[in-house]
Amino acid sequence: MKSHQWQNAQSRRFVVLFTLAISLFFSISAFAAPDGKALFKSKCGSCHYTNDQVLTGPGLQGVLGRVPSPEWARAWVHDNNKLRASGDAYAASIFAKFGGKTMTVFGTDLTDEEIDAILAYADKGGDPKPTGQNLATATTTAATDNSGDNLFIIVIILVVLIGIIAILRYTKINLRNALAEKEGRAEEPALPFLEASKDWMNNNKRKVALMGFLLFCCLIVKGWYALKGIGVYAEEVHPDEWVGYHPSQPINFSHKIHAGDVANGGNGIQCQYCHSGVDHSKTAGIPPVMVCMNCHKVISQNQAGTDESKTEIAKIYYATGWDPVTKTFSLPQHPVQWNKVHVLPDHVFFSHQQHVVVGKQQCETCHGDVKSMTTVEQQRPLTMGWCINCHRTTPVAMDGNGYYTALHEKMKEKYKDQTITVSMVGGIECSRCHY
Amino acid sequence: MANETKYWKGIAQLNDEKFVEKHQSEFAEYIPVEEFIGDSAKMESSSTNRRDFLKFLGFSTVAATLAACETPVMKTMPYVQRPEEIIPGVANWYASTFFDGHDYASVLVKTREGRPIKIEANPLSKITGDGKRGGLNARVQSSVLSLYDSTRLQGAKMKNGSAWVSKSWQDADAALGPKFAQSKGIAIISSTIASPSTKAAIAEFAAKYKNVRHVTYDAISYSGILKANNSTFGSAFIPTYNFDKADVIVSLGCDFLVNWLSPVEHARQYGLTRKVGTDKKAMSKHYQFESILSVTGSNADERFPVKPSQLGAVALGILSGLGGSASASAAVMTKEVGKVVDALKNAKGKALVVSGSNDPAIQVVVNEINRTLGSYGTTINTDIKDLTHQGDDSAFKKAVDDFGTAIDTVIFYNTNPVYSAPGALKFADAMKKLSLRVSFASHTDETASACDWILPDHHYLEAWNDYYPRTRQFSLQQPAIRPLFDTRHAQESFLTWAGNNSDYHSYIQKMWKMNAPVMDFTSYWNNSVRDGVVDMPMAVVVDKQDANPKPAAKPAADSTANVNAQTPPPNAMLDAVAFTGGTLSLSDAASQINAIKGGTYELSIYQKTSMGSGNQSQNPWLQEMPDPITKITWDNYVTMNPSDVQALKLFGVEDDILVRFDELEDALDIVEVTANGVKTKLPVWFQPGQTKGTIGIAVGYGRTGFNEVIDAVGKNIYPSVGWNEAGGTMEYNVYNVSVAATGDEQHEIASTQVHGTIMGRNEDLLRETTLTNYSKDERAGNPKPTMETYAGEKDVEDVNLWNSFERPNHKWALAIDLNSCIGCGACVVSCNAENNVAVVGKDQVRRSREMHWIRIDRYYSSDTVKEVEEDKGDMGTKEMYRKMESPTFDNPKVVFQPLMCQHCNHAPCETVCPVLATNHSSEGLNQMVYNRCVGTRYCANNCPFKVRRFNWFNYVEYDKFKDINPAQDLLGRMVLNPDVVVRSRGVMEKCSMCVQRIQAGKLDAKKASRRPIDGEIQTACSQSCPTNAIIFGDLNDDKSEVSAWYNSGRKFEMLEELGVRPSVFYLTKVWNREDENAHV
Repeated sequence: MKSHQWQNAQSRRFVVLFTLAISLFFSISAFAAPDGKALFKSKCGSCHYTNDQVLTGPGLQGVLGRVPSPEWARAWVHDNNKLRASGDAYAASIFAKFGGKTMTVFGTDLTDEEIDAILAYADKGGDPKPTGQNLATATTTAATDNSGDNLFIIVIILVVLIGIIAILRYTKINLRNALAEKEGRAEEPALPFLEASKDWMNNNKRKVALMGFLLFCCLIVKGWYALKGIGVYAEEVHPDEWVGYHPSQPINFSHKIHAGDVANGGNGIQCQYCHSGVDHSKTAGIPPVMVCMNCHKVISQNQAGTDESKTEIAKIYYATGWDPVTKTFSLPQHPVQWNKVHVLPDHVFFSHQQHVVVGKQQCETCHGDVKSMTTVEQQRPLTMGWCINCHRTTPVAMDGNGYYTALHEKMKEKYKDQTITVSMVGGIECSRCHY
Repeated sequence: MANETKYWKGIAQLNDEKFVEKHQSEFAEYIPVEEFIGDSAKMESSSTNRRDFLKFLGFSTVAATLAACETPVMKTMPYVQRPEEIIPGVANWYASTFFDGHDYASVLVKTREGRPIKIEANPLSKITGDGKRGGLNARVQSSVLSLYDSTRLQGAKMKNGSAWVSKSWQDADAALGPKFAQSKGIAIISSTIASPSTKAAIAEFAAKYKNVRHVTYDAISYSGILKANNSTFGSAFIPTYNFDKADVIVSLGCDFLVNWLSPVEHARQYGLTRKVGTDKKAMSKHYQFESILSVTGSNADERFPVKPSQLGAVALGILSGLGGSASASAAVMTKEVGKVVDALKNAKGKALVVSGSNDPAIQVVVNEINRTLGSYGTTINTDIKDLTHQGDDSAFKKAVDDFGTAIDTVIFYNTNPVYSAPGALKFADAMKKLSLRVSFASHTDETASACDWILPDHHYLEAWNDYYPRTRQFSLQQPAIRPLFDTRHAQESFLTWAGNNSDYHSYIQKMWKMNAPVMDFTSYWNNSVRDGVVDMPMAVVVDKQDANPKPAAKPAADSTANVNAQTPPPNAMLDAVAFTGGTLSLSDAASQINAIKGGTYELSIYQKTSMGSGNQSQNPWLQEMPDPITKITWDNYVTMNPSDVQALKLFGVEDDILVRFDELEDALDIVEVTANGVKTKLPVWFQPGQTKGTIGIAVGYGRTGFNEVIDAVGKNIYPSVGWNEAGGTMEYNVYNVSVAATGDEQHEIASTQVHGTIMGRNEDLLRETTLTNYSKDERAGNPKPTMETYAGEKDVEDVNLWNSFERPNHKWALAIDLNSCIGCGACVVSCNAENNVAVVGKDQVRRSREMHWIRIDRYYSSDTVKEVEEDKGDMGTKEMYRKMESPTFDNPKVVFQPLMCQHCNHAPCETVCPVLATNHSSEGLNQMVYNRCVGTRYCANNCPFKVRRFNWFNYVEYDKFKDINPAQDLLGRMVLNPDVVVRSRGVMEKCSMCVQRIQAGKLDAKKASRRPIDGEIQTACSQSCPTNAIIFGDLNDDKSEVSAWYNSGRKFEMLEELGVRPSVFYLTKVWNREDENAHV
């Protein structure tokens, strides 16, 4: 499936309207009865899953079968401390089983009907939730591909035009026949459509030639751009404004939140903190998911601001095998399969350390303003032409590097006042990147 | 003068005009169109015409283009928890040890993301290095590929009837423990165990069960030397040899450079004595008496062909010449022996005589020669013993005799006697008398398939072990990867059965802790594991060895196994005890030698440089590595002197032996060899230099239990190995064999010897001189080539079509010293591993399509040149030229010349490429861009050196190469170097001068803000060369070693007169003999 996400404004508007309509429909239905799902998410989801897995508290799948009675459940949710104090044996056992942690006291925040709705929703296991099990198979979400729509419109226009031609032709033939009848001539048999077209073309050779030539030019131009775009996943829509490949990821990790400027609500984490290979290796490296745990042991789901972040943090826990109840890495680990965004072909050798450490390049040069991206997007074409152009214009970071001292002197002699670019020291030779 | 010498690689090349014509172009072989298209009759009857064909072509092109428009979504999966030491994209190196019971080497294992991908020598080891650099042989280089062998057993197996059933290790232990307890007697048959901890584990096993006997059996045995030294010194040991201290080296059928005892160590030492330069104008003088043309023999200054039965008599002749008390009953080769004796007499204390024989009688004589020459303490070191060869042939024979009586259970550890035992021992039959047979083999090989249980051991890259290869030198083996299969340390099996549940890693640590010479064991251990080798002062070693538990039930006769426990005799005592405590006196030895009677044909069973004893027969890199001498891949064969071929009337040859040699390249006649009652049918290869009346056959072939391809290669000759009753040893020379033609049977072989015939074929490829001439004139034998121009004769350097190019930063170059290159082929395998060179298999090699980026051309040359004959003036011009061109079949001169892309600065390949896929870098490299190449092959045709290789197939994906190409299965693919592209079909490839290493080295330097240090960047071939014959460096760096050689008088470029200005240059071959052209 095509994973580009070029959207035109029109269809975006349509999607928004459609979504609004759907939500409206659901909101209206929400007035009719307590919405177990919505309530669960807002009140319970931070500590409970709707499956059988333990978060802070037990997973609530099949809860109605476990508790002594619905009344007991209501009493527990209203005030579990009171229930335990009353000497209820099951309440005490639950308390002990989950490490002596007190559940939030909801008191009168929830009515009995609401509690029933929540439990009914959770009991059946909720909706199939992405608690992580789908991680390994998570694929790029389908983005609406609008190139098909354009084609559709063109086809409709063509059909309409052909229709008009057909109607006009029919009218013309009829008129001619009517005229012939009127003038008492015999009806001319109408030529079949194709022959008529041929006739017309024979009579209008110059027009045909002109049209053919224009069509040919269009095809050449279109074809040239199509060829240039093969395998290139970014497009410069305006000068310095790129739109490119941005597949969805198994964990909706937002660089904007993590690496974004503090002033813009981000956390200002340095790129190298996670992509630590950049100084030492040819690959910057996608960080091991354990690196997330350096912070997310502390910034747990309970601290997460939104439902979405809770879900995403749960995915980290699932991947690392972290048990939030016991606070240990005691569960099985599940590696995360990311969708690679910046892809170079196999026959290209690219070294991050060469560019970052020796060449003193900024990450943004090739990766764009990742700090402001919610989903990572390829914002540079990463084609050979693009690389070469950069090598032709970028000066070599020679200052203070002992490797270049002698070479620098030689180059200064040869190139006088010119800036010494990467290409002047052999930076566009084949075997620098291909071997 | 040297320019007049005629060189040739194959006999066909020398004699056949058709051949020369055929080999003018790079791809001369016939194009097998019909094979590709299929049945020609069917093709002709088909109705597809040209237009249809074009339509199909057009459609498929468009379809392929459209399909290529979308790059698929790529996944990437980082570690969940990155191991502390791994940075993806950065290689880790681990010091370890390779020992398979035959070859010993301290190695460094290069791993990428946890996968071992390359083996290099550990320079810290005294065996594989000198502290700064080291080298390895092809067999050790290849061992990394054996790790990813998918035919390896993946778990414990038990034989149930005739089928194998998988068993868990618990089941195996539960079943075997009681059986061992009930056994009458257990024999552990192993190859040499050089590991103290393994010996201790076996000792624990022996202590637990009754009547346990540990028998050391090596397929290639050195029992003869052990027994001889036991006779001479009263102690069975193998000393270490210092070839670097020898001025005169005499070898009696001893292939010490590539096979004998510790070849890598010897090659390094020998290389030192062969290097000559401005400040060193002396080199060793090397005499070789031998029956087959060996790698060592072809490097000898003077080489004398003798029959195997005469080697003993030659030894006696030398001894009596030196004034010894014994002499041969019938003197042989008196003139040559006299010459050698004179040389030896003048070099007392700086001479070394070695013999490759396993006959104690001959070795006793050689000991006496060396004693007379004062070699002990100088060129032979008896303080430092070689403990990697402890096989005891008589103990093995006794054990086999006891099968079914005193022994009813046998455990095979790292040995395969069903395959390798002499036929006389009838080992396979004897095994049937046993009630329980257990093997630790990693394959269902010949012995394992006759066993009841196979409990596969780890590959050495997955296992822990320790070694004690030399007196006072320890080394450690550490795993570089977690075991790929459900295998177990053999030592752990022994320990488990002995009731010790320790894992082997902690067991070694415990052993080392017990004997550690320091208090802080943790850092001592960590340092030892890091370095891989530990050298100890003598006192400590003795303590350590005494502290080791010794095998309990070892018969006293097995003295060799206890060698390392004995205090080495001090040098002073050696002369005093000489020839007293032995069991074989010199006179008895002489009479045993005199009793040897030769036959019309004699057989010498030898090891090939690639295959060794056959431990790694399943390794495709080794199979495809051309033999240094015959250049044959994927086969063994009978080598025979061409005149013997003629005498046997093989190949329909009557008078003129040379008539059909071109056709011989395709198919060889088969002969049947009967030796020691064993008949073997093998093709005949005519080998110049082979002694008349002698045939040679290599071991290591004719395997079973691997895959169809490997099992079909060659025949096993081990059963023809004889049993020397008098010496109690295995005898690899068979003194009387019969050879019979089989009629019309023929066998196709794949020899690379005339592939890639170079422009100017047999002139000016090599420059040679003698030491005498060289010491007078550094440019001896190396005149500057000149050219006639309108302005008179000019230096070719000054006549050029092209302008010179700037090399402002680096100017990379390779110097190849023809004098220290021994032709061993370690560089070929090293290059394979580093550059993901595809294995193509026998059929493709036969079509000249081998992919090796570096080849070693082996040239024979005639023994006379124009000047010599003109001086003599005793024949007409015509006769003179005929004589010059006629090969010396009996003893040709041999020169090895490693040849890779010469990285011409004015490269002919570059000018003909229509798409600029090959062009030049500003650092002197000829760049090959695979993704730009469209496969016209113009470049290969225009290459004067024929070093370009074309990918005729997609070798890594085409099923046809499934059983040979390691990159075909997912496991074999793990050996690929991730920094080098795997080439696809239809592109040209060639040596890149390891540009990936150059780039990495430059990056390191830039990061450290300095210039690269000379020697820091190494190509794969230069790094693994045991003799340091390939030197890589930067010509812009005045102080580099390569610059020094570039400016030396020995420097020459191949085909210099073409003016292609290669970046690879050679150093003249200097012979230490009177006439550079005569080999005798």
